Amino acid sequence: MTTLAANLRDRTAIAAWTREHGVYLALLVLVVFNAIATPNFLTVDTVQLLFSQVPPVIIVSLGMALVIGTGGVDLSVGSIMAIASAVLAKFVTGGSPIGVAMLAAVAAGLLVGVFNGLVVAIARVQPIVATLGVLVAGRGIALVITGGALVELFVPVFKDIRLGKFLGIPYVMIVAALLAVAVSFLVRRTAFGYRLLAVGGNRRASVLAGLPVRRTLVVVYAISGTLAAVAGVIATARLRASDPSYIGLLMELTAITAVVVGGTSLTGGRVRILGTVTGAILIQLLETTLVSHNAPDSVARMVEALIIIAAVYIQRPARSSR
Amino acid sequence: MKARRRITVAATAAAAAVALTACSTGSNSGSTSDDSSAAPVATALGSANAGGVPAAITAAGGTELLTTAKPDGVSAQYGPMCKGSDLGIAKIDFTKDTIGWAQSEKEANPFRIASTKSQIEAAKAKGWKLLTTNAQSNVQQENTDIKGMIDKGAKAIIFSPINSTGLGDAIAYAKSKKVAMIPVDRNITGVQGCKDVGPQLGSDFVEQGRRAADAMIKATGGKAKLAILLGATGVNVTDDRTAGFLDQLKAKNASGIEVVFQQTGDFTREKGKSVTETMLRAHPDVNAIYAENDEMGLGALAALDDAGKSGTKNVHIVSIDGTKGAVQAIVDGNFDAVIESNPAFGPASQAALEAYVNGDGAPAVTITTDNQYDSSNAAEALSSGKAY
Repeated sequence: MTTLAANLRDRTAIAAWTREHGVYLALLVLVVFNAIATPNFLTVDTVQLLFSQVPPVIIVSLGMALVIGTGGVDLSVGSIMAIASAVLAKFVTGGSPIGVAMLAAVAAGLLVGVFNGLVVAIARVQPIVATLGVLVAGRGIALVITGGALVELFVPVFKDIRLGKFLGIPYVMIVAALLAVAVSFLVRRTAFGYRLLAVGGNRRASVLAGLPVRRTLVVVYAISGTLAAVAGVIATARLRASDPSYIGLLMELTAITAVVVGGTSLTGGRVRILGTVTGAILIQLLETTLVSHNAPDSVARMVEALIIIAAVYIQRPARSSR
Repeated sequence: MKARRRITVAATAAAAAVALTACSTGSNSGSTSDDSSAAPVATALGSANAGGVPAAITAAGGTELLTTAKPDGVSAQYGPMCKGSDLGIAKIDFTKDTIGWAQSEKEANPFRIASTKSQIEAAKAKGWKLLTTNAQSNVQQENTDIKGMIDKGAKAIIFSPINSTGLGDAIAYAKSKKVAMIPVDRNITGVQGCKDVGPQLGSDFVEQGRRAADAMIKATGGKAKLAILLGATGVNVTDDRTAGFLDQLKAKNASGIEVVFQQTGDFTREKGKSVTETMLRAHPDVNAIYAENDEMGLGALAALDDAGKSGTKNVHIVSIDGTKGAVQAIVDGNFDAVIESNPAFGPASQAALEAYVNGDGAPAVTITTDNQYDSSNAAEALSSGKAY
């Protein structure tokens, strides 16, 4: 009897530990695998490449983590990236200084984010439906802005964004890290952060407690839209072109995966920033690994699907709390 | 959704391939019979190779290689000859009647832009009234688009099928309304020649792959560590361009070209770039890249440029499409060659429509001619506007 009880206790403990730390373990396993099996993996180059490819995913995932923390979801992030990219192209080709163009692009993301927030908070449309509408319409808007075709952009600043490094770390990764710290501070150390988690934990109770639920939701979606736009600018600089048909395509899925794998529950009320960042790195490294090993596209997709399912399985509520 | 999903007439007939490339000895596995006397078409092109009609042409309703004179811009024609009257389609008065153009994917990449432009300009030049639709990569939408244009009174539909199957609904509707149907680019398969749709026009994607292989052998001198950026997964044009390329490497005994990496770039510049970045870390010795479309090639070039390895002296690049950006890259010394996939079906398809409904008929399957660019003609292709 005692062993059974201990066994059960152990299992619960293991499950809890996995929920909390599984993503770090998974990343470690993947790094070890690569170190053994991938040629030229343990080099500064590899890390630099990873850190230049992953920032858009991290930045979008940070916003997604906040939205998921409120019990919602933002499916429009990929399309917002495309809109930001298109606005950037429009301003650059129109002769605006690059700084103005970037601000305009980010402002466009903020606007779409506010729109999402209003639809969710005021009109009380379910987040998945509200942002799905923007997912579809947003890419159309981006295509209209650029006239549909890919626009090549020759901007010297883009080269710095793409290749610039400080102490060997790509600028874009530093930006992503700073944003992660800022979002983490927001969630853990500010009243806004507590309100956000309260809304996600129990919206009705939050309303009854007199919290500004609507305002909180609008701000959260606005942050998500703004961060997506920043990611769109970086993705554009990386490609040296605005390609509204493809920039940010399926980013919403990648970001949701990063957030969930990182230990943030889809039911809301809880946000894990370091886990989200690690989740984003894990997914990017996984893709890189599959590409390095010539895995066929179909296999790559199945592996990604398996990881999502595994993550969600681990995230399921413990038995005792049902 | 994906850049260019074009399903097609797969292989060129042996005879046509031999005659056109004059160098494909042994490349047509399984069709090496030389019983030229048995085949009525054998001597027409001065080739001893009779060959059969490729399976893909048969699937599209072609039964025999035609030896009659080919119009400009056409590299092969397959019978039977289709006549609209056989399906009860009345003659069209192009000064009064309207026709329809149904595009499959949004005009967001150079190929789709050029393909629609070609239809509109050709119609304008002839003074035809043209309705246009775009199905945004949705096959049900394309069915609806085509039927809608027929309901609006279109007497003929020229269309770029999203897929070689799946438009049965629209085709049956057109047949019942006695409306002429002309598929271009990808062909409709599983049809009997002239019985379901009218004359079909398309490119030969396998041949494009073979020509890319020839260009790659020439560029590298037959020795290279090669990476292939594949098109979108599960799309015939990807399979055809891969098969044509690899078969030709074998046929030319180019064993010095070692394929060390194959990965999909989804026909997009972004994926082409990120995949190439990763590839360069795992395989720093790669010195040649075959990109199955220009956009992925340009993505690869962007990655090479970031790594300080652009230029054909570092890494050779051959791609397929013939867009301005890629042809410019030849001029800039970054690409070796670009095999064209000609999107300008407007004039040929409208001429075929005219012959089909008002004239003596048009061949069941027509393969249009694709150009090829390298350093000798790239600048000219840009200045003349041939590169789209």
